Amino acid sequence: MINFDNAATTYPKPASVAFAVSEAVKKYGGNPGRSGHRISLDAARIVYNARTKAGKFFSSLTENTVFTSNATTAINMAIKGILKKGDHIIISSLEHNSVSRPVHALYEKGIIKYSVFKVSDKADETLENINSLIKPNTKCICCTAASNVTGQILPVREIGTLCTERGICFICDCAQASGVIPVSLSDGINILCTSGHKGLYGPAGTGLLVTDGKFSLDTIIEGGTGASSWELEQTALLPERLESGTVNVPGIYGLSKGIDFVNSTGSDKIKAKEDRLCDLFLECCKGVKNIKFYSSRKNSVPIVSFNIGDISSEIVASYLNEKGFALRGGLQCAALAHGTLGTLSQGTVRFSPSYFNSESQVYSLCRAIRNYSG
Amino acid sequence: MAKAIIALTSITYAMKAKNILSSMNIRSEIIRTPKNLGSGCGYSIKADGEPEKIIEILEGYGIKCKAYNAL
Repeated sequence: MINFDNAATTYPKPASVAFAVSEAVKKYGGNPGRSGHRISLDAARIVYNARTKAGKFFSSLTENTVFTSNATTAINMAIKGILKKGDHIIISSLEHNSVSRPVHALYEKGIIKYSVFKVSDKADETLENINSLIKPNTKCICCTAASNVTGQILPVREIGTLCTERGICFICDCAQASGVIPVSLSDGINILCTSGHKGLYGPAGTGLLVTDGKFSLDTIIEGGTGASSWELEQTALLPERLESGTVNVPGIYGLSKGIDFVNSTGSDKIKAKEDRLCDLFLECCKGVKNIKFYSSRKNSVPIVSFNIGDISSEIVASYLNEKGFALRGGLQCAALAHGTLGTLSQGTVRFSPSYFNSESQVYSLCRAIRNYSG
Repeated sequence: MAKAIIALTSITYAMKAKNILSSMNIRSEIIRTPKNLGSGCGYSIKADGEPEKIIEILEGYGIKCKAYNAL
């Protein structure tokens, strides 16, 4: 089976990641930050080192780098931690449900109001669209750095500048961008949320919330943190404030090795290879009967969405599965993005390579698609 | 040699403190905070050196020191 569904989670992982997860289970079995014995402290040390590495990757302080179980958890913590009753938030027209659902849930409860800005191909137009929606009570702008459906990259730095100028909190979902394009707090992002298991090549069950600390976050989960245990109130200190309960030590150790892989290989090199595979895919599928692409390869992370005629994307993905290729059909958990594309009923088939895919695999996939379309 | 026990606010700051002291060739270890320095579970750094000097170093890196006890 050849995996072209790496935007969902990269697979395979670097061998060093698999080894680290196994090593952590065998050697670092203590509960970090809970005891003074060496087993606990050894686990705390590898978590701290991973935290420092992840913080550096996103231009953040170690203590402002919070481990979560995935990007969705991080985004929920950010959105629900920032917004108060009466606040207004602006999100983009390309959002994943990890952004649109928590925002809509707060709206349904009568806590907040929200607006959706249209993402244009031109950064200036996108910024104008955002500007036109800002109200006196706009507390936050939350958007993806790159669409998980089309791959389109949003003008993150420009949005960051706008937010800084207007005193608005900028939450950025970097799940599809991390490890592929440079995104960090230095882009003006106040709270960066990401998964650890996609472009950072960590194991499933890992994510990050990285903050510059300018906006304090209420908690959505409280509990044991190993700090200030005598107080009934949740500790105010990051990262423990946002890390109640035992953290995923094997996952975090694996993630640290995934970040090592990205650092040593280089995001530029990773993206260049994946871009090449996307371009090859487009080239090879050119002329396939009734194929329609939804991705412009300009200003895009390595994702290509397509359909064949009016055939359900799930049927096409199912056929490709039978032929040995894993691609994701349907809505990719991004109803808002598909509403924007006009593909809510058909969905799209998503091709998303990783650094470990090859050109010959792309040729094989294209042959299968050609055979299917007739 | 003088030794200091300095109570810190969390395991993260204890790890950070240890790394900073280590980079300055000051030997230290992380221990549970003794009862006379705090209540409940917490972490301290036990370091070679005068407590006031250690605190000055750590606070210079933004690490809040809660209490200290010279050994």
